[in-house]
Amino acid sequence: MLKVLVPVDGSANSDRVIDHLMREHGSGEAVELHLLNVQIPVDSGHARMFVSGGDVEAYHREEGMQALRKAREKLDAADMTYTWHVAVGHVADTIVRLARELDCDRIVMGTHGRSALTHLLLGSVASEVSRSASVPVMLVK
Amino acid sequence: MLEAALTGGFWISVLQIIAIDILLGGDNAIVIALACRRLPEKQRRQGIFWGVVGAIGLRVILIFFALQLLAIPFLKIVGGALLLWIGVKLLQPESEGEHGQVDGSTHLFGAIRTIIIADAVMSLDNVIAVAAAAKGDLTLVIFGILVSIPIVVWGSKFVLKLMDRLPVVITFGGALLGWIAGDMLLGDAVIKPYVAGLPGWLKYAASVTGACSVVMVGTWLARRAMRPRAVEVLSSGRHVGGGDGK
Repeated sequence: MLKVLVPVDGSANSDRVIDHLMREHGSGEAVELHLLNVQIPVDSGHARMFVSGGDVEAYHREEGMQALRKAREKLDAADMTYTWHVAVGHVADTIVRLARELDCDRIVMGTHGRSALTHLLLGSVASEVSRSASVPVMLVK
Repeated sequence: MLEAALTGGFWISVLQIIAIDILLGGDNAIVIALACRRLPEKQRRQGIFWGVVGAIGLRVILIFFALQLLAIPFLKIVGGALLLWIGVKLLQPESEGEHGQVDGSTHLFGAIRTIIIADAVMSLDNVIAVAAAAKGDLTLVIFGILVSIPIVVWGSKFVLKLMDRLPVVITFGGALLGWIAGDMLLGDAVIKPYVAGLPGWLKYAASVTGACSVVMVGTWLARRAMRPRAVEVLSSGRHVGGGDGK
């Protein structure tokens, strides 16, 4: 079965990725979907000194679930099978590594996240992923 | 002040201060939010509000003391050494198992206490760096505080993203802190008389030495602490539907 990793950040763009996947795989071709949200670790520097590890983790989990919410609702509504993951780390790096760990055949993701300003100043996670991934990366606009 | 404004040195200090505020102020808001996590919704908003007010207030108070103290002999040496240490710490990756034992408080008073201590520590490194970069120019000091306010209030997510997308920014920040530290060390009341007669490039030599030592020590320590590990998945789950190919 085709195994696809779908990085999701809760933006309108990542909603369109889900729409695309549902159109393509909603009926017919079998596919194993892995939704992934990556949280950037906040426990560098000071958070470490003042906040317990459990609290930081709970915060990441909450934010991650929030980012996955819309994508999951769409898939639930279509009654599709999927697996979801919330991970912490460097975003592009974590996507590429999880794709390898899960042995995915393909990564399908949006071209840009929530903030146009961030995109303009920092470039996109998508371009970094497509540079370093060892499997094909499909970008949805 | 006016003369300083007309030279390039002023604008370089402005850029330095903005960079410092971004690099050292970004996690302040996150710590405040985390400390308030376990409070009920309404108190949480109160806690975050007063936490941010406290962070800014403490910066103003601390910078006032910092400016007075830095005129005292030896204290610029102490400040410079602290800055070198802050720079090296900035370059360290986040590590596991080093968390404080303080759990998020479930009542407003406890959360505010955590926030005030955290604010004081976090403002302190920011204030030392800004005071060093401003070199006693009050316009720059005030500018530094004003710039840090929006960063503390709104900037945290952006700063995190910045560091995620461009890790080189952190190295640059460490180098900047080392650079300022070198300059500050030479400015100490004790050292000043000895370097007064020496050529002007000495100042730059001190700065370059400071920047290089922070980056070298920082990356060396970071590399030692780093070990390859599996992707850190916090939680995962599976939804089985009937609508797709079986």
